[in-house]
Amino acid sequence: MTVVDHSAYIDAAAATLGLKITAEQRKGVAMYFGLAAAMAEKLEGLPLHAADESGNVFVPVVPEGEG
Amino acid sequence: MSANPDIPATAIAEAVRAGSTSARSMVQASLDRIAATEPRINAFTEVLSERALRRADFVDAHPRRARMKLAGVPFAVKNLYDVAGLTTLAGSKIERTRPPAARDAALIRRLEAEGAVLVGALNMDEYAYGFTTENTHYGATHNPHDLARVSGGSSGGSAAAVAAGQVPLTLGSDTNGSIRVPASLCGIFGLKPTFGRLPRTGSYPFVASLDHLGPFARCAADLALTYDAMQGADRDDPACAQRGVEPVSPLLARGSGGLRIGVLGGWFRDMALTDATAAVDAVAQALGTTRLVELPEVERARAAAFVVTCGEGAALHLDDLRVRAMDFDPMTRDRFLANALIPHAWVMQAQRVRHWFARRVARVFETVDVLLAPATPCVAPAIGTDWIDIAGQRLPARASMGLLTQPISCIGLPVATVPLWGLSASAPHMPIGVQLIAAPWREDLCLRVAAALEAQGICSAPVARGL
Repeated sequence: MTVVDHSAYIDAAAATLGLKITAEQRKGVAMYFGLAAAMAEKLEGLPLHAADESGNVFVPVVPEGEG
Repeated sequence: MSANPDIPATAIAEAVRAGSTSARSMVQASLDRIAATEPRINAFTEVLSERALRRADFVDAHPRRARMKLAGVPFAVKNLYDVAGLTTLAGSKIERTRPPAARDAALIRRLEAEGAVLVGALNMDEYAYGFTTENTHYGATHNPHDLARVSGGSSGGSAAAVAAGQVPLTLGSDTNGSIRVPASLCGIFGLKPTFGRLPRTGSYPFVASLDHLGPFARCAADLALTYDAMQGADRDDPACAQRGVEPVSPLLARGSGGLRIGVLGGWFRDMALTDATAAVDAVAQALGTTRLVELPEVERARAAAFVVTCGEGAALHLDDLRVRAMDFDPMTRDRFLANALIPHAWVMQAQRVRHWFARRVARVFETVDVLLAPATPCVAPAIGTDWIDIAGQRLPARASMGLLTQPISCIGLPVATVPLWGLSASAPHMPIGVQLIAAPWREDLCLRVAAALEAQGICSAPVARGL
């Protein structure tokens, strides 16, 4: 697992999103962000292609009484 | 008919249809059982006595009563389902300030249309983010088979209410394992249908691209009956498939004969304790299979489910995280805050890996009908357990309860969970579940195998005694 210090990113992202991370929350947030980062790292390295693009599909909304 | 908490839903409905008992007496028995056991279980966050008795009288007087499939059957729902007149809590303190729901969730309406009677709303992990139902706002739901242990989660109240004999049926939700984990830990049957099979209309979302709704029961026939009554398209849930009703109840008697059944190896054995692998081995032996099947890249699939959950789950709560983070349960707060910060590229990559994995697993199902895997790595841990040792690693106990369910719900496969007993050397009184996994839209195969195992006496869901 790659060891990265995410603290600068956490501060910048929190400020960008308007989130306040208190001193009490900081250790937990860093721990959980690191856990997500470790999971994200596992997602690298597969030979993915355009056909593997996400299956999330937008469904148009038909007005009531139609369709 | 006596007010025995062991009576299955099918028998209650049959008796009410025939007029040998009334819906009112069945509902009153359920309410009495709840009142007697609830101080020790804490499964319910709301008991709807007045509504339930009024509805029971409606069923008793209904001209179609003799044809209602669930006539007079009491049931309850996880408190992320909308119930008209109640505020939908989703296990949170924050939602208490929202207005009450204007109408019942779609699945409640479908069950009540068949004569079932809603008796209450059930405890859960806050916003469905957890596997233990150790909810700080509403208290922990205790495992009816050992009150010092967790009930599992996030649908812990749903599983405990059935295991305690408070109701024969409940509804829950499963994003990463939240039906299968508590079903396993409380020793009952659970069904997570194919993603998109049942409409989620009128339920509070956790992770929209992973959320499933489904039933809990104490036998396969009750599970099938409930599932059949809830099927059908619904345009108000964009993820709900436009498929007709495909009833499974008439198919249960076909058994498991002729089905190609495999045991999942690799991750699904490596990340399970002997309690769990012994349960799978017992099921495999009963079904006469020794075939071992390996899925590719399971750990990555689990990671994909994890990251999608982080990204989608936190984005939903961004406004509340900005202005009232301290009102979140301490069990979820720091996780939601951290997850709100993760880069979008991680989530998109997770969705692509998920898609890749689904295609590879579809190939596996060209040569097999049902796959077996443990539902949880171990039996229910004690309330308050922080760490667990699996495969030589010290892992966080709560998150690890979903290690074996997440790779499966990640790609939306239907799964029935069946309970086995006496397989844990350290806790022989505790149950553990086995996942029966099929290809998309083949809930019939999961439930046929569940019914066959039950008929052989391999799995069962007795009501907890001594409550």
